[in-house]
Amino acid sequence: MTGPDQSGDHIRQQLDGLGGRLACGCEVDEVLEQAANGKARQRTEHQRDCPACQAALQEFSRLWEPVRRLAAEGVAVPVGIKAAVTYQIGKLVSDAGYSLHLAEAGALRIAARVIAHIARDAASSAPGVETAFGRSTHRHAALGVLGSTAVIDLAIAVHYGRQADVVAREVQRRAIAAVRTQSGINDITINVTIDDIVT
Amino acid sequence: MASDVEDTYLVQRAQEGYLDAYSELTDRHGALAYRVALRLLGNHHDAEDVAQESLITAWQHLPGFTAKSSFSTWLYQIVTRRALNRISRTRTTESLDRIGEIPDQAPDPGDTAVRRRAADAVVNAITALPPPQRVAIVLHHLEGLTNAEVARITGSTVPAVRSHLLRGRRTLGKVLQEWR
Repeated sequence: MTGPDQSGDHIRQQLDGLGGRLACGCEVDEVLEQAANGKARQRTEHQRDCPACQAALQEFSRLWEPVRRLAAEGVAVPVGIKAAVTYQIGKLVSDAGYSLHLAEAGALRIAARVIAHIARDAASSAPGVETAFGRSTHRHAALGVLGSTAVIDLAIAVHYGRQADVVAREVQRRAIAAVRTQSGINDITINVTIDDIVT
Repeated sequence: MASDVEDTYLVQRAQEGYLDAYSELTDRHGALAYRVALRLLGNHHDAEDVAQESLITAWQHLPGFTAKSSFSTWLYQIVTRRALNRISRTRTTESLDRIGEIPDQAPDPGDTAVRRRAADAVVNAITALPPPQRVAIVLHHLEGLTNAEVARITGSTVPAVRSHLLRGRRTLGKVLQEWR
Protein backbone atom coordinates (compact mmCIF):
# COMPACT_ATOMS: atom_id res chain seq x y z
CA MET A 1 0.00 0.00 0.00
CA THR A 2 1.41 3.36 -0.98
CA GLY A 3 1.17 6.01 1.75
CA PRO A 4 -0.41 9.39 1.05
CA ASP A 5 1.68 12.50 0.76
CA GLN A 6 2.39 13.69 4.32
CA SER A 7 4.87 16.41 3.43
CA GLY A 8 4.88 19.72 5.31
CA ASP A 9 2.78 21.35 2.60
CA HIS A 10 0.22 18.61 2.84
CA ILE A 11 0.01 18.95 6.63
CA ARG A 12 -0.43 22.69 6.26
CA GLN A 13 -3.24 22.14 3.80
CA GLN A 14 -4.87 19.79 6.27
CA LEU A 15 -4.62 22.37 9.05
CA ASP A 16 -5.95 25.09 6.75
CA GLY A 17 -9.05 23.16 5.84
CA LEU A 18 -11.84 23.42 8.39
CA GLY A 19 -13.07 20.01 9.41
CA GLY A 20 -10.16 18.50 7.48
CA ARG A 21 -9.72 14.78 7.23
CA LEU A 22 -6.74 12.57 6.49
CA ALA A 23 -6.73 10.35 3.41
CA CYS A 24 -8.10 7.51 5.55
CA GLY A 25 -11.05 9.63 6.70
CA CYS A 26 -9.85 10.31 10.25
CA GLU A 27 -10.30 13.86 11.51
CA VAL A 28 -7.15 15.99 11.46
CA ASP A 29 -8.13 17.73 14.71
CA GLU A 30 -8.39 14.47 16.62
CA VAL A 31 -5.00 13.30 15.43
CA LEU A 32 -3.48 16.69 16.25
CA GLU A 33 -5.05 16.54 19.73
CA GLN A 34 -3.61 13.08 20.28
CA ALA A 35 -0.12 14.21 19.25
CA ALA A 36 -0.31 17.48 21.22
CA ASN A 37 -1.30 15.55 24.34
CA GLY A 38 1.79 13.37 23.96
CA LYS A 39 -0.19 10.25 23.09
CA ALA A 40 1.13 9.65 19.60
CA ARG A 41 2.40 6.22 20.62
CA GLN A 42 -0.93 5.16 22.06
CA ARG A 43 -2.34 4.16 18.71
CA THR A 44 -5.82 2.85 18.11
CA GLU A 45 -6.39 -0.39 16.25
CA HIS A 46 -7.03 1.59 13.06
CA GLN A 47 -3.90 3.69 13.51
CA ARG A 48 -1.70 0.60 13.92
CA ASP A 49 -2.43 -0.31 10.29
CA CYS A 50 -2.93 3.16 8.79
CA PRO A 51 0.08 4.86 7.13
CA ALA A 52 -1.84 8.16 6.86
CA CYS A 53 -2.53 8.28 10.61
CA GLN A 54 1.00 7.15 11.50
CA ALA A 55 2.58 9.79 9.27
CA ALA A 56 0.28 12.50 10.63
CA LEU A 57 0.95 11.51 14.25
CA GLN A 58 4.67 11.65 13.61
CA GLU A 59 4.47 14.96 11.82
CA PHE A 60 2.17 16.59 14.38
CA SER A 61 4.37 15.38 17.24
CA ARG A 62 7.37 17.08 15.65
CA LEU A 63 5.24 20.16 14.99
CA TRP A 64 4.19 20.40 18.65
CA GLU A 65 7.67 19.90 20.07
CA PRO A 66 8.35 23.66 20.68
CA VAL A 67 5.14 23.86 22.74
CA ARG A 68 6.22 20.86 24.82
CA ARG A 69 9.62 22.44 25.36
CA LEU A 70 8.00 25.71 26.44
CA ALA A 71 5.81 23.85 28.92
CA ALA A 72 8.86 22.14 30.42
CA GLU A 73 10.90 25.33 30.51
CA GLY A 74 11.39 26.89 33.94
CA VAL A 75 10.26 30.46 34.44
CA ALA A 76 12.45 32.73 36.54
CA VAL A 77 10.15 34.33 39.07
CA PRO A 78 11.03 37.91 40.08
CA VAL A 79 12.32 37.90 43.63
CA GLY A 80 10.34 40.99 44.56
CA ILE A 81 6.90 39.40 44.28
CA LYS A 82 6.79 37.81 47.72
CA ALA A 83 8.21 40.86 49.46
CA ALA A 84 5.73 43.16 47.73
CA VAL A 85 2.79 40.89 48.58
CA THR A 86 3.87 40.54 52.21
CA TYR A 87 4.31 44.29 52.53
CA GLN A 88 0.90 45.06 51.03
CA ILE A 89 -0.84 42.49 53.21
CA GLY A 90 0.96 43.78 56.29
CA LYS A 91 -0.48 47.21 55.56
CA LEU A 92 -3.94 45.78 55.01
CA VAL A 93 -3.99 43.85 58.26
CA SER A 94 -3.19 46.55 60.76
CA ASP A 95 -0.52 48.94 61.85
CA ALA A 96 -0.99 48.01 65.49
CA GLY A 97 2.15 47.76 67.56
CA TYR A 98 3.50 47.35 71.07
CA SER A 99 4.75 50.31 73.00
CA LEU A 100 8.29 49.94 74.26
CA HIS A 101 9.10 53.22 75.79
CA LEU A 102 7.61 56.64 76.06
CA ALA A 103 10.09 59.42 76.55
CA GLU A 104 10.64 62.98 75.62
CA ALA A 105 12.61 61.92 72.59
CA GLY A 106 9.49 60.18 71.24
CA ALA A 107 7.66 56.88 71.37
CA LEU A 108 9.19 53.54 70.44
CA ARG A 109 6.82 51.07 68.94
CA ILE A 110 7.26 47.68 67.31
CA ALA A 111 4.64 46.20 64.99
CA ALA A 112 2.67 43.28 66.40
CA ARG A 113 3.34 41.20 63.30
CA VAL A 114 7.09 41.64 63.82
CA ILE A 115 6.79 40.26 67.36
CA ALA A 116 4.74 37.35 66.00
CA HIS A 117 7.41 36.70 63.40
CA ILE A 118 10.19 36.61 66.01
CA ALA A 119 8.19 34.18 68.14
CA ARG A 120 7.43 32.02 65.13
CA ASP A 121 11.06 31.74 64.07
CA ALA A 122 12.08 30.79 67.61
CA ALA A 123 9.32 28.18 67.78
CA SER A 124 10.42 26.67 64.46
CA SER A 125 13.86 26.00 65.91
CA ALA A 126 12.55 23.83 68.77
CA PRO A 127 13.16 20.06 68.42
CA GLY A 128 10.10 18.19 67.19
CA VAL A 129 8.49 21.19 65.48
CA GLU A 130 7.71 20.66 61.79
CA THR A 131 6.24 24.10 61.23
CA ALA A 132 5.06 27.04 63.32
CA PHE A 133 3.00 30.14 62.71
CA GLY A 134 2.57 33.16 64.94
CA ARG A 135 -0.05 35.85 65.35
CA SER A 136 -0.70 38.62 67.77
CA THR A 137 -3.95 38.13 69.66
CA HIS A 138 -4.51 41.79 68.92
CA ARG A 139 -4.68 41.14 65.21
CA HIS A 140 -8.09 42.80 64.94
CA ALA A 141 -6.94 45.92 66.71
CA ALA A 142 -7.17 49.14 64.81
CA LEU A 143 -4.26 51.40 64.19
CA GLY A 144 -2.66 52.28 67.47
CA VAL A 145 -0.67 51.13 70.44
CA LEU A 146 -1.42 47.79 72.03
CA GLY A 147 0.29 48.39 75.35
CA SER A 148 3.52 46.91 76.58
CA THR A 149 2.42 43.29 77.12
CA ALA A 150 2.96 41.02 74.13
CA VAL A 151 0.44 38.24 73.75
CA ILE A 152 1.25 35.85 70.92
CA ASP A 153 -0.55 32.76 69.67
CA LEU A 154 1.60 30.07 68.10
CA ALA A 155 0.11 27.26 66.04
CA ILE A 156 2.55 24.41 65.57
CA ALA A 157 2.67 21.11 63.76
CA VAL A 158 4.87 18.53 65.52
CA HIS A 159 6.64 15.44 64.30
CA TYR A 160 4.82 12.19 64.98
CA GLY A 161 6.17 10.38 68.04
CA ARG A 162 7.31 13.47 69.97
CA GLN A 163 5.90 14.19 73.41
CA ALA A 164 3.59 17.08 72.65
CA ASP A 165 3.68 18.85 76.02
CA VAL A 166 7.49 18.75 76.11
CA VAL A 167 7.66 20.23 72.62
CA ALA A 168 5.11 22.93 73.51
CA ARG A 169 6.96 23.96 76.68
CA GLU A 170 10.24 24.22 74.79
CA VAL A 171 8.48 26.31 72.14
CA GLN A 172 7.20 28.67 74.86
CA ARG A 173 10.63 28.94 76.44
CA ARG A 174 12.41 29.71 73.15
CA ALA A 175 9.75 32.14 71.93
CA ILE A 176 9.72 34.14 75.16
CA ALA A 177 13.52 34.34 75.20
CA ALA A 178 13.69 35.43 71.56
CA VAL A 179 11.00 38.11 71.87
CA ARG A 180 12.60 39.43 75.06
CA THR A 181 16.07 39.56 73.51
CA GLN A 182 15.11 40.91 70.12
CA SER A 183 12.39 43.39 71.05
CA GLY A 184 13.08 44.52 74.58
CA ILE A 185 9.55 43.63 75.65
CA ASN A 186 9.65 41.83 79.00
CA ASP A 187 6.02 41.06 79.70
CA ILE A 188 5.26 38.24 77.28
CA THR A 189 2.56 35.60 77.07
CA ILE A 190 2.89 32.80 74.53
CA ASN A 191 -0.13 30.57 73.86
CA VAL A 192 0.83 27.38 72.02
CA THR A 193 -1.64 25.22 70.11
CA ILE A 194 -0.51 21.96 68.59
CA ASP A 195 -2.91 21.49 65.70
CA ASP A 196 -1.23 18.98 63.44
CA ILE A 197 1.09 15.98 63.54
CA VAL A 198 3.36 15.30 60.60
CA THR A 199 4.61 11.77 59.98
CA MET B 1 10.59 28.00 55.83
CA ALA B 2 10.05 24.80 53.89
CA SER B 3 7.75 22.25 55.46
CA ASP B 4 5.73 19.19 54.58
CA VAL B 5 2.39 20.47 55.83
CA GLU B 6 -0.41 20.53 53.27
CA ASP B 7 -1.93 23.59 51.68
CA THR B 8 -5.22 23.04 53.50
CA TYR B 9 -3.41 23.39 56.83
CA LEU B 10 -1.74 26.60 55.70
CA VAL B 11 -5.04 27.98 54.39
CA GLN B 12 -6.76 27.30 57.72
CA ARG B 13 -3.99 29.00 59.68
CA ALA B 14 -3.99 31.96 57.28
CA GLN B 15 -7.77 32.26 57.70
CA GLU B 16 -7.19 32.48 61.45
CA GLY B 17 -4.88 35.44 60.96
CA TYR B 18 -1.49 33.76 60.86
CA LEU B 19 0.24 35.95 58.28
CA ASP B 20 3.25 33.66 58.11
CA ALA B 21 1.06 30.83 56.92
CA TYR B 22 -0.04 32.93 53.98
CA SER B 23 3.57 33.89 53.39
CA GLU B 24 4.33 30.17 53.03
CA LEU B 25 1.45 29.83 50.55
CA THR B 26 2.92 32.74 48.60
CA ASP B 27 6.26 30.94 48.57
CA ARG B 28 4.67 27.77 47.25
CA HIS B 29 2.35 29.29 44.66
CA GLY B 30 3.93 32.61 43.69
CA ALA B 31 5.67 30.92 40.77
CA LEU B 32 2.37 29.50 39.49
CA ALA B 33 0.75 32.95 39.61
CA TYR B 34 3.61 34.60 37.77
CA ARG B 35 4.08 31.81 35.20
CA VAL B 36 0.41 31.71 34.19
CA ALA B 37 0.22 35.50 34.03
CA LEU B 38 3.35 35.58 31.88
CA ARG B 39 2.02 32.96 29.47
CA LEU B 40 -1.31 34.75 29.16
CA LEU B 41 0.01 38.29 28.88
CA GLY B 42 3.34 37.75 27.15
CA ASN B 43 5.35 40.34 29.05
CA HIS B 44 7.14 40.32 32.38
CA HIS B 45 5.99 43.71 33.64
CA ASP B 46 2.26 42.98 33.37
CA ALA B 47 2.81 39.42 34.62
CA GLU B 48 4.50 40.68 37.78
CA ASP B 49 1.68 43.14 38.44
CA VAL B 50 -1.02 40.52 37.88
CA ALA B 51 0.77 37.93 40.03
CA GLN B 52 1.06 40.41 42.93
CA GLU B 53 -2.52 41.61 42.58
CA SER B 54 -3.77 38.04 42.47
CA LEU B 55 -1.92 36.98 45.62
CA ILE B 56 -3.22 40.03 47.49
CA THR B 57 -6.75 39.42 46.19
CA ALA B 58 -6.52 35.82 47.35
CA TRP B 59 -5.56 37.01 50.84
CA GLN B 60 -8.44 39.48 50.93
CA HIS B 61 -10.94 36.80 49.91
CA LEU B 62 -9.46 34.04 52.02
CA PRO B 63 -12.22 34.20 54.68
CA GLY B 64 -14.73 33.20 51.97
CA PHE B 65 -12.61 30.38 50.56
CA THR B 66 -14.40 27.17 51.46
CA ALA B 67 -11.82 24.72 50.14
CA LYS B 68 -14.26 23.12 47.68
CA SER B 69 -11.30 23.25 45.32
CA SER B 70 -7.59 23.26 46.06
CA PHE B 71 -5.86 26.54 46.82
CA SER B 72 -3.90 26.27 43.56
CA THR B 73 -7.08 25.82 41.48
CA TRP B 74 -8.57 28.83 43.22
CA LEU B 75 -5.42 30.85 42.53
CA TYR B 76 -5.51 29.78 38.86
CA GLN B 77 -9.03 31.24 38.75
CA ILE B 78 -7.97 34.55 40.24
CA VAL B 79 -4.87 34.92 38.06
CA THR B 80 -6.77 33.99 34.91
CA ARG B 81 -9.56 36.45 35.66
CA ARG B 82 -7.18 39.29 36.43
CA ALA B 83 -5.08 38.57 33.34
CA LEU B 84 -8.20 38.55 31.16
CA ASN B 85 -9.26 41.88 32.65
CA ARG B 86 -5.90 43.31 31.77
CA ILE B 87 -6.06 41.87 28.25
CA SER B 88 -9.48 43.42 27.67
CA ARG B 89 -8.17 46.79 28.86
CA THR B 90 -5.07 46.76 26.69
CA ARG B 91 -6.08 44.76 23.65
CA THR B 92 -5.04 46.41 20.40
CA THR B 93 -5.14 45.51 16.75
CA GLU B 94 -1.38 45.36 16.85
CA SER B 95 -1.39 42.56 19.40
CA LEU B 96 -3.78 40.53 17.26
CA ASP B 97 -1.41 40.87 14.34
CA ARG B 98 1.49 39.41 16.29
CA ILE B 99 0.64 35.95 15.02
CA GLY B 100 2.48 36.89 11.83
CA GLU B 101 5.66 37.85 13.65
CA ILE B 102 7.68 34.78 12.87
CA PRO B 103 11.38 35.51 13.21
CA ASP B 104 13.47 35.32 10.06
CA GLN B 105 15.80 32.42 9.62
CA ALA B 106 19.21 33.34 11.00
CA PRO B 107 22.19 32.72 8.71
CA ASP B 108 23.92 30.53 11.28
CA PRO B 109 21.23 29.01 13.44
CA GLY B 110 22.85 27.26 16.38
CA ASP B 111 20.64 24.70 18.03
CA THR B 112 19.99 26.88 21.11
CA ALA B 113 19.24 29.96 19.05
CA VAL B 114 16.83 28.03 16.85
CA ARG B 115 15.06 26.63 19.90
CA ARG B 116 14.88 30.06 21.49
CA ARG B 117 13.35 31.55 18.37
CA ALA B 118 10.91 28.67 18.10
CA ALA B 119 9.92 29.25 21.74
CA ASP B 120 9.46 32.97 21.01
CA ALA B 121 7.31 32.08 18.02
CA VAL B 122 5.14 29.87 20.23
CA VAL B 123 4.82 32.60 22.88
CA ASN B 124 3.89 35.19 20.23
CA ALA B 125 1.40 32.83 18.65
CA ILE B 126 -0.21 32.03 22.01
CA THR B 127 -0.54 35.68 23.04
CA ALA B 128 -2.12 36.43 19.66
CA LEU B 129 -4.89 33.86 20.18
CA PRO B 130 -8.35 35.11 21.18
CA PRO B 131 -8.52 35.14 25.02
CA PRO B 132 -10.70 32.02 25.50
CA GLN B 133 -8.42 29.94 23.26
CA ARG B 134 -5.33 31.42 24.89
CA VAL B 135 -6.51 30.51 28.37
CA ALA B 136 -7.42 26.97 27.31
CA ILE B 137 -4.08 26.40 25.57
CA VAL B 138 -2.03 27.81 28.46
CA LEU B 139 -3.86 25.93 31.20
CA HIS B 140 -4.09 22.62 29.32
CA HIS B 141 -0.95 22.40 27.23
CA LEU B 142 1.48 24.48 29.31
CA GLU B 143 0.15 23.91 32.85
CA GLY B 144 -0.95 20.32 32.22
CA LEU B 145 -4.48 20.71 33.61
CA THR B 146 -7.31 18.48 32.41
CA ASN B 147 -10.19 19.81 30.33
CA ALA B 148 -12.47 19.48 33.37
CA GLU B 149 -10.06 21.51 35.52
CA VAL B 150 -9.81 24.19 32.84
CA ALA B 151 -13.62 24.31 32.66
CA ARG B 152 -13.85 24.70 36.44
CA ILE B 153 -11.25 27.48 36.49
CA THR B 154 -12.80 29.41 33.62
CA GLY B 155 -16.40 28.83 34.67
CA SER B 156 -17.02 27.13 31.36
CA THR B 157 -17.99 23.64 30.22
CA VAL B 158 -15.82 20.76 29.04
CA PRO B 159 -17.26 20.84 25.48
CA ALA B 160 -16.57 24.59 25.30
CA VAL B 161 -13.00 24.06 26.51
CA ARG B 162 -12.50 21.30 23.94
CA SER B 163 -13.74 23.63 21.24
CA HIS B 164 -11.36 26.42 22.30
CA LEU B 165 -8.49 23.94 22.43
CA LEU B 166 -9.29 22.58 18.99
CA ARG B 167 -9.29 26.00 17.39
CA GLY B 168 -6.24 27.14 19.34
CA ARG B 169 -4.27 24.04 18.36
CA ARG B 170 -5.20 24.50 14.72
CA THR B 171 -3.94 28.09 14.76
CA LEU B 172 -0.78 27.20 16.64
CA GLY B 173 -0.18 24.26 14.31
CA LYS B 174 -0.25 26.55 11.32
CA VAL B 175 2.14 29.02 12.95
CA LEU B 176 4.52 26.24 13.93
CA GLN B 177 4.37 24.83 10.41
CA GLU B 178 5.44 28.23 9.06
CA TRP B 179 8.30 28.26 11.51
CA ARG B 180 9.72 24.89 10.50
